[in-house]
Amino acid sequence: MDQGLKPIRVWLTPSGPNPWKVVVILEELRLSYEVVSFKFDHVKKKPFTDLNPNGRAPAIEDPNTDLVLWESGAVITYLVQQYDKDKLLTYNTLKEQHLINQWLHFQMSGQGPYWGTAGWFNVLHPEKVPSAIERYNNQVKRVLGVLEGVLADKDWLVDDKMTYADLAFVPWNDRLESVLLCPDEDKFAGFPRVKAWHESMTCRPAWKRAMEKRDKLMDEQGLMWNGMPKGIKNLQEYEAKIAAGEDTTPKDS
Amino acid sequence: MADNKDPSDIHLYTAATPNGIKVSMLLEELGLPYKVTDISFSKNEQKEPWFLEINPNGRIPALTDVFTDGSQIRLFESGAIMQYLVDRYDTEHKVSYPRGSKEYYDVNSWLFWQMGGLGPMQGQANHFFRYAPEKIPYGINRYQNETRRLYSVMESQLAKSKSGYLVGDKLTIADIACWGWVAAYHWAGVDIKEFPHLEAWMEKLLQHPGIEKGRHVPERHTSLDWKNLSQEELDKRAANSWVRTESSKDQEKK
Repeated sequence: MDQGLKPIRVWLTPSGPNPWKVVVILEELRLSYEVVSFKFDHVKKKPFTDLNPNGRAPAIEDPNTDLVLWESGAVITYLVQQYDKDKLLTYNTLKEQHLINQWLHFQMSGQGPYWGTAGWFNVLHPEKVPSAIERYNNQVKRVLGVLEGVLADKDWLVDDKMTYADLAFVPWNDRLESVLLCPDEDKFAGFPRVKAWHESMTCRPAWKRAMEKRDKLMDEQGLMWNGMPKGIKNLQEYEAKIAAGEDTTPKDS
Repeated sequence: MADNKDPSDIHLYTAATPNGIKVSMLLEELGLPYKVTDISFSKNEQKEPWFLEINPNGRIPALTDVFTDGSQIRLFESGAIMQYLVDRYDTEHKVSYPRGSKEYYDVNSWLFWQMGGLGPMQGQANHFFRYAPEKIPYGINRYQNETRRLYSVMESQLAKSKSGYLVGDKLTIADIACWGWVAAYHWAGVDIKEFPHLEAWMEKLLQHPGIEKGRHVPERHTSLDWKNLSQEELDKRAANSWVRTESSKDQEKK
């Protein structure tokens, strides 16, 4: 795959799910890349906002084409269109390409925002708001139900091959237990096809390599599972420190 | 909209929402004939088996068309539908850029930004501000502030833009995707006056005949008619809407 390409630079904050969508695609395609790991504290600041005006990770710089791109969905679409010449993660046929794109949009607008908002009200929000928790947990279950139905009689979203649309769902689904605050073994309860589909991707070497990289980068910044630096009690404290311009790096790292 | 003399394979299933009008505005800009089915939320038509065959997610818009090989293609997700339509029919690149060009990928960034950011976040603002049976100030503030932040990202981009559009020198599907959401600013309780370039962009798009025509599919677009109504009057309208009715039903089921 990788014929003398200069490494693609991936800007990321290691805690969030969306950068790993990009990394797993790079790993699956065996493309050369380098990671610029930076703290969440700096996501809304220069130099990152010069790359992504929206101030959200990830963004990429591709020196081979001189392109800067942001939004994980747009980035992985680019990587596949530009570099997946052997169609490992896509199809040759236009109709299937549009169906893949449809599922990618469903991931970006359906899975991502609902998983994120459910996680917000379950984990990060300082007080428990039962009506909001119920609303977003129900939306998560509804979306899982849609996927379960689609996967009822097949292994992949589009025809009979894993594509980049399938892989796009992995990072959020892999942390579903921390979104719903349930035991890991229960996170796909009632959705056996989704569970099998998810695990058939997380057992692949590409995902494992991506997660090893993530562990290392999380440690480097002294981050806990919820993305906050060790020693910081909650998001309010973290946001206050960021706003005050304090260094949030844990003392022991 | 297509008249009956002009047969078309494109069939749009839609309703008068920011996501629905994206597709009708694009079809009108491209001058494509199409059939329309108005999906009634009050009758819960979007969850009926025949519609779930087209979109298993049970949301509008959805679109069917006859593909080049004669088979039917069924598509959902407004962003994916727009990309399909320009890829297949906008061969002169009226509202798109050629595949592989820098502008093509820039349009994709903004399109996904709308799909994963502006739409969902302004949607949550609407939920907490207009529809939720219980007023939760934190939820209202959080999602209205995020909507304002997203508007400010567009504002900065438009301030830099020589053409007044999000990408390059012309109207694209990135602008069309955002328009219905921005035009509904008042419903979300956000003041457009804080964003002068964005307001000018919103007005500018109305000068495109396809935008003006397509926004009224399947029925009259009312967001801009309502811009002078007070929040109390808008709340009354929300109270009678199908969304609130659905929210109350959810509460009763508990």
